[in-house]
Amino acid sequence: MKRNRFEMVVLSFLGALVILSLVIPQLVRDEGRIQPLALSVLFRDTESSGWAIGRQGMEQAADELGAELRFLNLTTQNDGEEQAELLRREAEGGAGALVVIPADSVALSAILIGGGVSCPVVALESPVAGGAGEVVLDNEQLGRRLAEALLEDWTSGPVLLLDTAPGCAGVTARLEAAGEALEEAGVDAVRMESLPEDGSADWVMTFERSATLRTAERKEAEGLSFALYGVGGSTAITAHLERGTISAMAAWSDYAAGYLAVRQAVEATREPGRELEPLPFFILRGEDIYAPEYQKLLFPVTS
Amino acid sequence: MNFFRRVAVQWAERYRKMSIQMVLSLSFTAVAAAGILLMGISLIWRFSSVSEQMVAENSQRVLAQANMNLDSYLRRMMRIADTVYYRVIKNTDLAEGSYTNALGLLYEENRDDLVSLAVFDSQGTAVSSVPLSSLKTAADPAGSQWFQAASRSMENLHFSTPHVQNIFDNPDAPYRWVVSLSHHVELTRDGVTESGVLLVDMSFSGIEQVCRDVTLGEGGYLYLINGDGEIIYHPRQQLIYAGLLEENNLTAAGYRDGSHVERFQGQSRQVTVKTVGYTGWKLVGVAPTSNVLGSSPQLFLFGLSLLLFAIFLMAFLNFLISARISDPIRRLERSVKELESGLDVEIEEGGCYEVQRLGHAIRSMVSTMRHLMDDIIRQESQKRRSELEVLQSQINPHFLYNTLDSVIWMTEAGQQQEAIQMVTSLARFFRISLSRGKNIIPLADELEHARHYMNIQQIRYKNKFTTQIEALPGAEELYTLKLIVQPILENAIYHGMASAEDDGRICVRAFREGESLVIDIEDNGLGMRPEVAASLLDEDRPEVRTSGSGTGVRNVHRRIRLTFGEGYGLTIMSEPDEGTLVRIRLPALTREEAARCQQGEVL
Repeated sequence: MKRNRFEMVVLSFLGALVILSLVIPQLVRDEGRIQPLALSVLFRDTESSGWAIGRQGMEQAADELGAELRFLNLTTQNDGEEQAELLRREAEGGAGALVVIPADSVALSAILIGGGVSCPVVALESPVAGGAGEVVLDNEQLGRRLAEALLEDWTSGPVLLLDTAPGCAGVTARLEAAGEALEEAGVDAVRMESLPEDGSADWVMTFERSATLRTAERKEAEGLSFALYGVGGSTAITAHLERGTISAMAAWSDYAAGYLAVRQAVEATREPGRELEPLPFFILRGEDIYAPEYQKLLFPVTS
Repeated sequence: MNFFRRVAVQWAERYRKMSIQMVLSLSFTAVAAAGILLMGISLIWRFSSVSEQMVAENSQRVLAQANMNLDSYLRRMMRIADTVYYRVIKNTDLAEGSYTNALGLLYEENRDDLVSLAVFDSQGTAVSSVPLSSLKTAADPAGSQWFQAASRSMENLHFSTPHVQNIFDNPDAPYRWVVSLSHHVELTRDGVTESGVLLVDMSFSGIEQVCRDVTLGEGGYLYLINGDGEIIYHPRQQLIYAGLLEENNLTAAGYRDGSHVERFQGQSRQVTVKTVGYTGWKLVGVAPTSNVLGSSPQLFLFGLSLLLFAIFLMAFLNFLISARISDPIRRLERSVKELESGLDVEIEEGGCYEVQRLGHAIRSMVSTMRHLMDDIIRQESQKRRSELEVLQSQINPHFLYNTLDSVIWMTEAGQQQEAIQMVTSLARFFRISLSRGKNIIPLADELEHARHYMNIQQIRYKNKFTTQIEALPGAEELYTLKLIVQPILENAIYHGMASAEDDGRICVRAFREGESLVIDIEDNGLGMRPEVAASLLDEDRPEVRTSGSGTGVRNVHRRIRLTFGEGYGLTIMSEPDEGTLVRIRLPALTREEAARCQQGEVL
């Protein structure tokens, strides 16, 4: 009787193992089916053409990691309040994660620290406290390097620093670092929110894409003669650089920035966010854009 | 080492305690499991090998197809270049005409694949170009890699790596990625030939389309490199350009056509390479070996499931078979145990041949044992009964009454001396009969016992016969079974001497004959026929319990044979009117042998 019981135990154990090995694949298959993550991207611009390359990177990451993207622009450029409202609405609307290019870093930080948003938020371009991660440049270093490019050409006269996004911490950090570098070199730096009506300036620096594009377009349109140094990377800005409208441009791989931002946001929903190294950037002049290492970054390989 | 020894000892201990069914089941299951495992590993190895080969063949087939498509695409571009050169440039004198219209037609015909067609003179000045004609301000065609390659090697067509079109100003689609095909051409200007370069800018999308839809299984992909390993197309090209991804393209450039296995970033992968004709480009197909080897968790679990099921089945069958083999043995063992505990059980003869034979042998053995035991019991019973009978015969009340009556009579007759002698002999007679319960006594005691008996009988029979009792030298120290002579003497007196006329004679003589002690009791009485003498010892003779009926003689014979075996006992030789000789044959027992025999040892 005792032996029969032992045999029954052994057979039951083996039978259970067989059943388990048949059931586990089904469970694994079910678990393997990851639901697509709804991920919203909040720009600080009224239209996101300046982020076209970045969007390609975001879409690549979303494709690889199983996320569905929603791109949202503001009705007013750099409107922090609107962006905050949009952020809340998206979070409450069921977004799994958010990527934000902050219009007002301080206000956004307050919301995130206050726990106003339940899903992970990744900041792009400017750091935001309380977020799940950030994909940013060394903004101070960028501003300083751009100022150094200007100083290489500088002959005389004050330099106009266009403060077009005062709420955006990253942009402000660039501007302040550039101002400091100029002052250290003994060059007067004048901080203004926009270009004077008459365009009277010899040296102009811009620290965000839309400002660079607007200033370059106005310079070309009005035939202004100031030397423009700005932050860019979009095809339109690069075209201005090639034509000489812009003397030097700070750029980085928007594709990589967009890709990393989405990847970090998706990963943040599954595990605690990892801190990334600041993105590398480079200062370009018109003659550099076709160098193999730069053209690969400035112009995404598309048909 | 100690650990292994300890484990071995533990297993040996367990093995000793295991039932035969358990040993059979576990052994069979272990061997079957090992066999199945070995077979499984062998199958997996074989399956992996075949899968690897199949994946390699599949990759090669897919790459051959992609190569054919790409080759076809490139040949079409080369045909365009040849058409431009041989049909347009060669047939047109620039002093008289222009290439533009012809180039425009060709462009329109192939506008899906082309970005631009252009002819430059040796200085890099644009001679003709479609659809774009405006050069960029900073454009330097002569300094371009494609221009220099064409100028260096005039016979060949040159294909560049993908680059951004940087010659023509294109406000509608600036910065398009192209692959440039360049060829040295000879321009004719006013009848004079001069060097030039033909540029065919192919849209990168053409190459991308050829490569993009190629699939190499799950996780597999295809990329295209030039002879130096520089990437022309990669499904994740922009990630590589952005530094977020790495590819083993430089190593792949060194591979020959065929399949190779490489390890890159900790991942083993099968790489299949196919060189694209003319350009020297290489199509590289990558398939992770995890797919090749089929080591996905699903497949692994399926294999494991099959393995476990096979083991389950084997274990089930083993338990059944072992139970069938061992059940008869267990039943046999149970029967033997019951037999040990004294139960009367039937030994079963079931199971396979060997077990049947074993059961039969045990059954036969048990039967023999029972017979032997019955014999022993019967013999013991007989022995006990014989001894009791002997003792009873010694305290025969008639004998005692007659003897005491004789003593009274002699006392009354004043024969006090004879009465004293008779009573003394009677006392000695009974003392020796008891012998402190011993069964083996010295021959001297046995003869003395006989002597006292004869003394009493002689007085009772008024010396109608004489007695001679003696032990020859060599026999005095020997031992004998007690009370074996007296019953013979009693028989001799009642049958031989009762009717004697004072000339009766009874002789008792003990002597050693080899390893035997022989006691002869001889009388000169009436005697009997030999057949009657022989029948006295017959066990089947009916018992008649009277003095001198022969029962005492038969008892003596039986006791001797029960004690010492069939080789010993009585022999009776008699002739009518001649007398009778009863010969008692016993083993010649020394003191030590007698002591051992007394303790029950078989001699």
